[in-house]
Amino acid sequence: MTVDDDLWSAIGDPTRRRMLDLLLADGGGTATTLCRHLPVTRQGVAKHLIVLERAGLVRATPAGREKRYRVDDAQLARAVAQLSSVGAVWDARLQRIKRIAEAVQREQTDPSGEPG
Amino acid sequence: MEYGSIEREIFIDAAPELVFDVVSDPAHVKRWWPDDAEYDVVPGATGRIVFGDCAHGGVTEQLTIVDVRPPRSFSYRWTYPAAEPAAEDNSLLVTFDLAPQGAGTLLRMTESGFRERGWSAAVMEQCYNEHVTGWDFFLPRLESYASTLRPEVKAGS
Repeated sequence: MTVDDDLWSAIGDPTRRRMLDLLLADGGGTATTLCRHLPVTRQGVAKHLIVLERAGLVRATPAGREKRYRVDDAQLARAVAQLSSVGAVWDARLQRIKRIAEAVQREQTDPSGEPG
Repeated sequence: MEYGSIEREIFIDAAPELVFDVVSDPAHVKRWWPDDAEYDVVPGATGRIVFGDCAHGGVTEQLTIVDVRPPRSFSYRWTYPAAEPAAEDNSLLVTFDLAPQGAGTLLRMTESGFRERGWSAAVMEQCYNEHVTGWDFFLPRLESYASTLRPEVKAGS
């Protein structure tokens, strides 16, 4: 799905992740409020916001001459769940749990048995 | 599906009592997850887990035991701010459910709270994950660990 590609490239950038953190912490913000906390110009922030909006991660509402952005919780949760590293590492952890438990089981069943 | 959680299932050819020890006993836990783990396996107990080489130097995380029902279920909360008690909206909840299957165990793991915690928690998880992802890191340790195990070795003794 192209949506997922957009999502991944949107969250792949550290500045945009920092922006999401700021928006979450403050409950929303504008390009002007965000750029105060970032080593990026207001114009740069505005460009990043467009990328985030295109990926569905933020929603804009008019606020005077600017737009006010909020994080879209559902889409963010989706992005988080898609973080393959989180899921994949649980796979690795569970494989380790399996190996350890089975090794202990073998040890208990046949204490003298050497696997090789 | 619930996008804010991760669910996994794995069959383990070992008795539920034994698998329960491996997922709950800090002496075992530090072999498959952090570099160190200190806590009592008692509901409400708090403790800590230490990750040796996350980012710059080690990282210590608090952990609060939620439920201990051997050999059926074990759960804990983690990744919450140091000054706060663990709660639904500030932590990730990890739950292990164990069901006997033949002579073995069906182990189901759920980690939830990503929706409530948002992005920061996922980034934190990823950070811890990176140093324990590879079999390269673990396999050499596993063999020597398994060979040191004795049936009478138990938690806290």
